[in-house]
Amino acid sequence: MKYSYIKPRKKTALTKDMQLLFTFFGASIFMLVLTYSFLVFKDYRFDQREQEIVQEKKDLNQDINNMKDKITLIEKQNMLSQRVFTKNTVLKDSISNLFDLVPSRITLSQAKIMENSLTLYGITPNKDIYNFMLQAPLRSIFNRSYSSFYPQKNGWYSFVSTNFIDEESILDENK
Amino acid sequence: MKISRQNIYLLALSVFLLIFVLIFSFMLLIPTGKEYRIKRAELKKENKKLRQLSDFANDTSTILQDLQNENRHIITAFSTPFIADRFQKQHRKFFSSLKLSKISKQENDDVFSVYEVNTTSEISSPKSFYKFLDAVNKSDWIIAINFPIIFKRDSELIHSSFTMKVYNNDKSKKEEKPKEDSNTTK
Repeated sequence: MKYSYIKPRKKTALTKDMQLLFTFFGASIFMLVLTYSFLVFKDYRFDQREQEIVQEKKDLNQDINNMKDKITLIEKQNMLSQRVFTKNTVLKDSISNLFDLVPSRITLSQAKIMENSLTLYGITPNKDIYNFMLQAPLRSIFNRSYSSFYPQKNGWYSFVSTNFIDEESILDENK
Repeated sequence: MKISRQNIYLLALSVFLLIFVLIFSFMLLIPTGKEYRIKRAELKKENKKLRQLSDFANDTSTILQDLQNENRHIITAFSTPFIADRFQKQHRKFFSSLKLSKISKQENDDVFSVYEVNTTSEISSPKSFYKFLDAVNKSDWIIAINFPIIFKRDSELIHSSFTMKVYNNDKSKKEEKPKEDSNTTK
């Protein structure tokens, strides 16, 4: 039997092999945890961004709806104003045409312009001048024309001319 | 074959760590990775939709701005409340006398409120009235000259009366009705 004279070393579980193993697995686990943390962080950021996008979309939709409402209103305003401007211009032309229609020998004392009718009061030297120079053009414009004459002391005639446009013909024109 | 205790420790630890790695990977890492990929794809889609919506909003904004620039006068006119004094100041030059009375609110249509103004005036010739009609289309309000229009000769002047419809944006809930007004200028 042989005896050793050296002092026995203290035995430890953390041998070189174990250290190597711990280092290897430690590095692996660290990388896995790092990857997992990265993914969890990214998922969190994605969720956050998704919520932001939902809010942004909501805001944008609201903005778009507001803008669409404004566009609709402006279009309505534009249409109405164009209609009003056209109506005023047509009215101006109609009144201008009416006064141009009256010959210089006939004097108007009053003109009532309604939507479907025109009533003229005035004086004329004789019925023929009225009939040929005013009644004829009025008849070509209006569907129905009625005239009444009242003799004046000076030999002239006062007249009342009532002229109507039938509603059907206005509707036909508008079609 | 004799396996030393040291090797048994080594083997056990290796197996334990391997199992840990596998469980960690399959239970946490891979599902999270899948979720990450799905969310990334979803986010890409959502970003694309957001960009499209943003482009659409920009286009709509451009259209709105263009419309606002083109129709500035009309927009301002619809939002300006009718003031009889101001109207008279602006348009009295066309008349020998101009009187506005009874500003009454008519039934609203769906968007606009309509006020009716009775007007009596005196003009020296119909031309003044034509000029007035031209000026009304360029005035600060949207005004439609309405029937009945009556012209009556009164010596050298023509006495005229007509109604005007003034159109405003409908703010009936916020706004008070305009006060009745009656002013004469000569």
